[in-house]
Amino acid sequence: MLLRKDVLVLRRSPLLLGILLAYPLAIAALVGLVASYASSKPRVAFVDEDNLPPTVIVGGKRFHVDRTIRQVSENVKLVRLSPEAAQRQLSTGGVVAVVTVPPGFVASLQGMVRSPQLELQLSRGTLSSRVEQQVQALVYSLNRQLQRAYIENNLRYVTLILHGGDGSFLGRPIDVLGIERAEKLLAGMPDTPRNRRLRDFLHDARLALANTGDALRSTAHPIELVRVPLRGRTWVLSAEVQAYALGLTITFLALMLAAGSLAAERDENVIGRLARGLVGLGDLIWAKVALAAGVALVLGLAIAIAFGLIVEVGGVTGGEPWRRLPLLVVGLVLAGGALGALGALLGALAREARSASLVALLVVLPIVFLGLIPAEVVPPAAWVSDVLPFAHSVRFFSAALYDLSPWGSVLREGLWLVALGAVFGGLARVGARRLLV
Amino acid sequence: MRPRTPLLAARGTGRRFGKTAALDQVELEIWEGDALALVGPNGAGKSTLLSLLAGALEPSSGQVERRKGVRIGWAPQRPAQYGRLSARENLELFARLEGEPDPKDAAARLLAEFDLPGEPSPSANLSVGNRQRLNLAISLLGDPEVLLLDEPTAALDPEQRRRLWERAAALREAGGAFVFATQNLDEVERVADRVAALRDGRLVFAGLVGEYDRSQTDTLFA
Repeated sequence: MLLRKDVLVLRRSPLLLGILLAYPLAIAALVGLVASYASSKPRVAFVDEDNLPPTVIVGGKRFHVDRTIRQVSENVKLVRLSPEAAQRQLSTGGVVAVVTVPPGFVASLQGMVRSPQLELQLSRGTLSSRVEQQVQALVYSLNRQLQRAYIENNLRYVTLILHGGDGSFLGRPIDVLGIERAEKLLAGMPDTPRNRRLRDFLHDARLALANTGDALRSTAHPIELVRVPLRGRTWVLSAEVQAYALGLTITFLALMLAAGSLAAERDENVIGRLARGLVGLGDLIWAKVALAAGVALVLGLAIAIAFGLIVEVGGVTGGEPWRRLPLLVVGLVLAGGALGALGALLGALAREARSASLVALLVVLPIVFLGLIPAEVVPPAAWVSDVLPFAHSVRFFSAALYDLSPWGSVLREGLWLVALGAVFGGLARVGARRLLV
Repeated sequence: MRPRTPLLAARGTGRRFGKTAALDQVELEIWEGDALALVGPNGAGKSTLLSLLAGALEPSSGQVERRKGVRIGWAPQRPAQYGRLSARENLELFARLEGEPDPKDAAARLLAEFDLPGEPSPSANLSVGNRQRLNLAISLLGDPEVLLLDEPTAALDPEQRRRLWERAAALREAGGAFVFATQNLDEVERVADRVAALRDGRLVFAGLVGEYDRSQTDTLFA
């Protein structure tokens, strides 16, 4: 009965209702845009100050410059610009970074003694770290392409040392005796202890250098990372963003709604009428918890569906796991209920609807910030966050939507939310006596 | 034969709000047929006593006794209703909470009786007088045997006052009782048969209207 009344009161508040309807759509659109950006290629200026030739020969291997750049720039869109145009576009946001090939780059590359350098300039902004990662990935891909040529070139020197013969170093012709020829020369010398030691050394060196090729290749990749496909489900940025968007929205709305609506019972002077045997204070708290859970469910589902449609249309990697929505429903109800209980406690303590809303707003921000701090970075923040519903809600949502095997996490976080809801609900029941004064 | 227990009684009842004692050691009984006026200056404790008798507040000391099964209606001084709901919706909601067998019918009856608007506009938009009428109408839901009315006529027009007192008199004749707080001594003499006077949270007089010396009023309200 009270819940029905609360829903009716909510419907009669046009501004609040309008915000409640617009909020999830706005959040979903924003999250969708962020997710779309996560899978988009940022525009990066490519400034060639070394006048790169169409092809470059490194270690005897020929590289087509444009083709190589296309191959390695999977995550960014490289645009050739003059230095001036690049700086202008960097300042206006036309490009998010400038990669410059400085004069002498190709010479250093072909010399194979000193590592040539690429210069990177990033725009100032919150996305610069992501762009830096993507440019690092570009350089990593480029290095992998060059690595083979470097190794082959180094192996030619090893072969020269092993077998001897004519070669070149830093452009100068050289004649190398080689280990095998040295062994032959040594075999014709008297069998003295000193010569025997030299023969043993040359024998060991020849065996060791015979394995140099494999050793060089393995040291080039001490550990190789191979990404295992997860049956079509990938941990994309959109998943994390969506879990946080759901958590944030529900935390704000459920907390403020429960706090405000409980305190409003006193503002409307109705609490005394209800408390004289018509409705127990526990039932009143329960109605607010149910209201928060219901609103969280409706808004959360609206966000998930709207977000899903946006990312499907945008072709974002990972997409929306539609089959997981029933599990999300459970999480939304539990999270909404736990946050509603905390909101009811705040409403009981604040006693006035305006104060309650303000207190709820002030409480929401630290709750969210605490939940965003990784436990590995500041353990005490995680301990505090563990006794508040936000972090558990986010973990429930991300597990429910994107974990391959979500049951362990979902059960653990669900129990946390139930326990926190019970504790805060009990405290709210005790605190609600203050509303009668 | 008179029952052995009153409908409602305050037994050494006191109430504190923080360090302030709003009511102290009040003894009062309400029996069938009583029409009891609570008088006293502002801040004397009249509203607190009515809230305690209604069960909306819990006493800090002493107790409030209610005869088993007695139904109580309470109209606080400041209207207690949901401003976002219409008069009809408020009446229907409280009718359900009071256990009325047909909430819609009860709401319609009281709307007509108190001449309240039936349209679905929020009750917050009603005039002060209409809000007070709605407040009184809600107090009549659940067929109460005791009515507790806190300055009920302050915002009512003469016709509505007449109707209210007729309704209260009918309740009394049917074996119920009503208690009302007022500042209007003419109303006391016209409507009540007993008077309880409060000052600084203490009961300073309790007796029949005829025994109440109106000349004390100047002292009482000073």
